[in-house]
Amino acid sequence: MSLRVDVARKLGAFVLDARFEAGAGITALFGRSGSGKTSLVNAIAGLLRPDRGLVEVEGQTLFDSSRGIDMSMSRRRIGYVFQEGRLFPHLSVRQNLLYGWWFTPRKERYVGLEHVVELLGLGQFLERRPGELSGGEKQRVAIGRALLASPRLLLMDEPLASLDAQRKSEILRYIERLRDETSIPILYVSHVIEEVVRLADTLVLMSDGKVQAEGRPDEIMGRLDLHPQTGRYEAGAVIDTRVAAYDEKFQLSTLHFSGGDLLVPNVDGLPGERIRVRIRARDVSLALEPPVGTSILNVLRGRIAEICPRDEVVADVSVDVGNVSVLARITRRSLDQLRLSPGMEVYAMVKSVALDRHSVGFA
Amino acid sequence: MGSGKRKDLGTRVATLWLIAQLFLFIAPIPAAAQDLIVFAAASLKDALDAIARDYQPTAKVVVSYAASPTLAKQIENAAPADLFISADLDWMDYLQARKLINARSRVNLLRNRLILIAPADSKVTLEIKPGFALAAALGNSRLAMANPAAVPAGKYGKAALESLGVWQSVAAKVAPADNVRAALTLVSRGEAPFGIVYRTDAIADKKVKIVGEFPAGSYPPIIYPAAVVVASRNAQKAQALLDYLGSAHARALFARYGF
Amino acid sequence: MLTPVEIDALQLSLRVAFWSVLVSLPFAVAAAMVLARLNFPGKSLIDAVVHLPLVLPPVVIGYVLLLLLGRRGPIGSMLEQYLGVVVAFRWTGAAIASGIMGFPLMVRAIRLSVEAIDRNLEAAAGTLGANRSWIFATITLPFMLPGLLTGVLLSFARSLGEFGATITFVSNIPGETQTLPLALYSFTQSPGGDGPALRLCAIAVLLSVAALFASEVLVRRASRQLRGHELAG
Repeated sequence: MSLRVDVARKLGAFVLDARFEAGAGITALFGRSGSGKTSLVNAIAGLLRPDRGLVEVEGQTLFDSSRGIDMSMSRRRIGYVFQEGRLFPHLSVRQNLLYGWWFTPRKERYVGLEHVVELLGLGQFLERRPGELSGGEKQRVAIGRALLASPRLLLMDEPLASLDAQRKSEILRYIERLRDETSIPILYVSHVIEEVVRLADTLVLMSDGKVQAEGRPDEIMGRLDLHPQTGRYEAGAVIDTRVAAYDEKFQLSTLHFSGGDLLVPNVDGLPGERIRVRIRARDVSLALEPPVGTSILNVLRGRIAEICPRDEVVADVSVDVGNVSVLARITRRSLDQLRLSPGMEVYAMVKSVALDRHSVGFA
Repeated sequence: MGSGKRKDLGTRVATLWLIAQLFLFIAPIPAAAQDLIVFAAASLKDALDAIARDYQPTAKVVVSYAASPTLAKQIENAAPADLFISADLDWMDYLQARKLINARSRVNLLRNRLILIAPADSKVTLEIKPGFALAAALGNSRLAMANPAAVPAGKYGKAALESLGVWQSVAAKVAPADNVRAALTLVSRGEAPFGIVYRTDAIADKKVKIVGEFPAGSYPPIIYPAAVVVASRNAQKAQALLDYLGSAHARALFARYGF
Repeated sequence: MLTPVEIDALQLSLRVAFWSVLVSLPFAVAAAMVLARLNFPGKSLIDAVVHLPLVLPPVVIGYVLLLLLGRRGPIGSMLEQYLGVVVAFRWTGAAIASGIMGFPLMVRAIRLSVEAIDRNLEAAAGTLGANRSWIFATITLPFMLPGLLTGVLLSFARSLGEFGATITFVSNIPGETQTLPLALYSFTQSPGGDGPALRLCAIAVLLSVAALFASEVLVRRASRQLRGHELAG
């Protein structure tokens, strides 16, 4: 296990009491604002002292109240990318980047300036000051600075919060590169479901200072009982696919997974690359028979696993397609008329255009 | 960009040089342990400065001038004086009683006389005799004197005015100064119409004129005692200076200033 | 142009001011940090004591110094006995008097700077591996710089003008403790001293204006450096 956390802390009226474990890759900490995510991350980094508990990273105990261990923040070697970047305005970008590098003992350094500069595209502004950079550029420098401290674990606290949409996807690409090209465990905190679903290998759901669930994104997203936390409006399925083919003429990619194929437009993936797709429940329709003469390109065959009425008007239906759960949100009236029940074979239909570039990410 | 950098370098070098010069300027000159420090009554300023210059080849003399009580108190607080010259006997006695001066070295060095002065352009004439109309002449203005409570020149002045029966009428009109030279300056600037100073002060400043001299019996004789300070680190040199101050050569110099 | 007495006084004033500022600086930084960042019972008392020299008559400070640090005072006699150090009637004593008089000015200026420092940046530096001392040196101190410069120059200018405490504690010995204001004072009491007195007056004004001007320029430059040319072009 890369990360073991079990901490409790009272902060005024708020009580943090969270426990989870994470492995390699990106672990996403998801929850609404005020759910305790930042406090938890601060406890891991050493900025906040828990009342009791344990923090263990890569086998190294950083905090253990039962044994009186509390490693000082500067010795924990945890890279922290803050929401506001927090670059040092009186130093150049180069000096910012190398700040943590200087404090890392030589034998523990596993990453160098050139590598990070290349990875994050920072070559152009090494001699500039943070004040001269755009929001996206600042965040890249912040990530680079944390990386260059050769951390055992990289913490990212809502790093995209202060960026506009274009910058967000730009930085998301860099973070995916990070995950692919380095082996540092990453803990990614966000309250935005798209980011989390796109990046996470493990998803940890937080609410009211406690961990509600942890597991693979597609599992967690598929669980109907968690919809209050995962966000009712955005409920949906997460599917890991592989690019099988690309139709030049109509610019559609064929994404293959265990339950069949999805045809998705505007995907910049090369054949063979793994792509993660998110399908919102409200974009999925159900049919008892394979539809004919329809414009809908994606028709997936599956079996109803669970039906969860939301209120008098709508119900969420979880359909097992291959080894993935696809969620469909339909009216109670349709539920009634089609006489849907668990175990029935149905066809789930998704309009291709419903799968936009925000739903797609590189797995 | 290139010439800009050169100019920047030039400014830097200039600034560094300036700072270096400043440092040299303020660096303390290595311990002046051979310097003799004399604490002398303010009225001795011009005369003693001249003698100190004269003594230069033998030793460097630094003189601190102030009112005698001020100097005596400082010596009492272990100020680093080698020699003390007071304007009256009381303050030397004060130190002698506390065994702070070398009694065997004590000598009476100089004399002086008490004068009533006015600004040079004053048209007033007054004859100094018992009951003379000083108060009337002062009007609403003040009489400049060294502090009559403690400073010798002030004490002598008060004694003289008392014996002439005039003190009561002018006591409230006195402007007490820190020392006799300060009183002199007040009159010199025309801030006070009259002042009481020593004769040596009166003749030192062209901007004042002598109105009259106080009768010899109206005040105690003005005697300047001098002695070596017990705590002096240069007792021998101090004694040598003291001997020199009593020599004929020094006397002649003092005489030139009216002593 | 200037008589030796005047040059002596100027030299002494600059030396006294320089050392008084240099020695009191670390104490002022410590006091500013404590007052800006810590909370403890008795804090307002410390704050008041630090500001005393601003409101007490300088002569009082000088007299207290004489009582304590004079050769016959409790601290002064110990200094002389065990360290062979005497400060009464020495230029070092004048520096102490000046340092004390300028201390509250320094602390106030530095404290303002410290209070404006973004603690988040210090936390970020900590996560990157810097311990407290390094955080202080690389983050806190640079941001403290404008306040530090202001404090130093204000205290320097104050020291150049220090009179009451100086003349009471170390008296008026030419070449040793006769700083510029004291020399000026002596000249005003001497006939024919108006010339030198006016010259010294002019020098005092020039020095003070220069110090205040330098303070403005340096602080502006330091602030610009810190903000990383955000507002420049």
